[in-house]
Amino acid sequence: MTASKEFDNVLDECLERLLTKGETIEQCLQSYPEQAVELEPLLQMAVAAKKAVAVQPRSEFRAEARYQFHAALGEVASQRSRSFLGWFPRWATVVAIVLGLILVGGGTVSAAGYSMPDSPLYPVKLTTEQVRLALTPSELSKAQLSAELADRRIVEIIYMANKGDAQQVEAITQRLDERLIMLATLASTTRDVTQEGTKDGGAPEVLTLPSVEQPAPSPPEEATGEGDVRIETDERAKLRVTVARDAVNHPAALRSVLGQAPELAKPALRRAIAVSVAGYERALKALD
Amino acid sequence: MQNEESLVHRAQQRETEAFAQLYENYFDKIYRYVVFKIGNRTEAEDLTQQVFLNALQSISSFKWKGRPFSAWLFRIAHNQIVDYLRKKTRQATTPLDKSTVISDSNPQLAIERKLDIEQLLLATKRLTKAQREVISLRFAGELPIAEVAKVMDKSEGAVKALQHSAIVALRKTLVVTNNDSK
Repeated sequence: MTASKEFDNVLDECLERLLTKGETIEQCLQSYPEQAVELEPLLQMAVAAKKAVAVQPRSEFRAEARYQFHAALGEVASQRSRSFLGWFPRWATVVAIVLGLILVGGGTVSAAGYSMPDSPLYPVKLTTEQVRLALTPSELSKAQLSAELADRRIVEIIYMANKGDAQQVEAITQRLDERLIMLATLASTTRDVTQEGTKDGGAPEVLTLPSVEQPAPSPPEEATGEGDVRIETDERAKLRVTVARDAVNHPAALRSVLGQAPELAKPALRRAIAVSVAGYERALKALD
Repeated sequence: MQNEESLVHRAQQRETEAFAQLYENYFDKIYRYVVFKIGNRTEAEDLTQQVFLNALQSISSFKWKGRPFSAWLFRIAHNQIVDYLRKKTRQATTPLDKSTVISDSNPQLAIERKLDIEQLLLATKRLTKAQREVISLRFAGELPIAEVAKVMDKSEGAVKALQHSAIVALRKTLVVTNNDSK
């Protein structure tokens, strides 16, 4: 191997260690003392370049892009379902699929989970959600599920607003409102239990509204009480972070489609924005 | 990689959750790659969305034949960028000026302190097309050398050599000592 090729390999190995394994330039130089003089400035240049390109997408764009993509996925799922369900009467389709879900579960659940309100699978999606809520044991888990379902409603509102279907936007907004009311109610009923449990060890740290891209904070290290209560408190803190993030992202995503949505859908979309802002505010208060 | 292969296989069967997972895994990397290639964050947003929608449409055509999914996805992004640049009637060609050059008594410290994406973009205009592509895929797209080689249809050795010469050229462009700049 020529000296030049050998150096290319050493440089690449060091870059891999620096960029993906979190090692330092010094560690690399120690591995290759003979090439250190030549390597060092190049590694410094590479690290600086890596830092410079580490741009993050805007949170509004990230949210909107995700919704648009999920809407496209929903279309794919409904195309697939239409191909074999098109000839069924609607009621028979729902019954058949719900029975199928109960008996075998699996792929249809996933397809229905992404279906949009204009899809034949949508009633299955709503029914499945009701079943999941009914089968969820704790109030806190129900609150977590309500937050997840609210997220789905936002995706659906954006999808139907882009199609100019004001009636559907109104109907989904109503469902969104119900979910957010449920979330706030469940959050307030679980509050006493979790706060009682932390009395001896101090109240759980109050989480401030996180920046949108911030990952959920790790739970505090010190134990504050019995295991179950501790887990419940951690879960509540996680839910608070999720809801705080959605409180920013969801209204932002709805606003971002307001400009391009057909005129017909705009009043319904404005109401959806108002409902999401008020609903998340209420839920966050209940979680404080 | 096995895990990704399984995800891709499920996505090809139109399993939406699998495709959603692939989307999450690659969204930031593709966005950074596009920003770095076109130098415009707003237009990069549209292109990034379009890359994933195109991938969704054509996932069934993807085949594992020694070419990883990342190489296929970045190839879609690359083609989309080429189309975009071709359609763009007027390209801004900003000459490299004094503000791009970093000057300090300790040039290494100066780079770390001052280099931002705009300066880096201007500096990459001095690179060859292939060198620029390696830097984009390696640093913005965060691909390992083997995958960069697959995207570019080159040997790993050739890509390593390009990477080396590109970093040397960037350093030469961006760093001057006080003595040089006076």
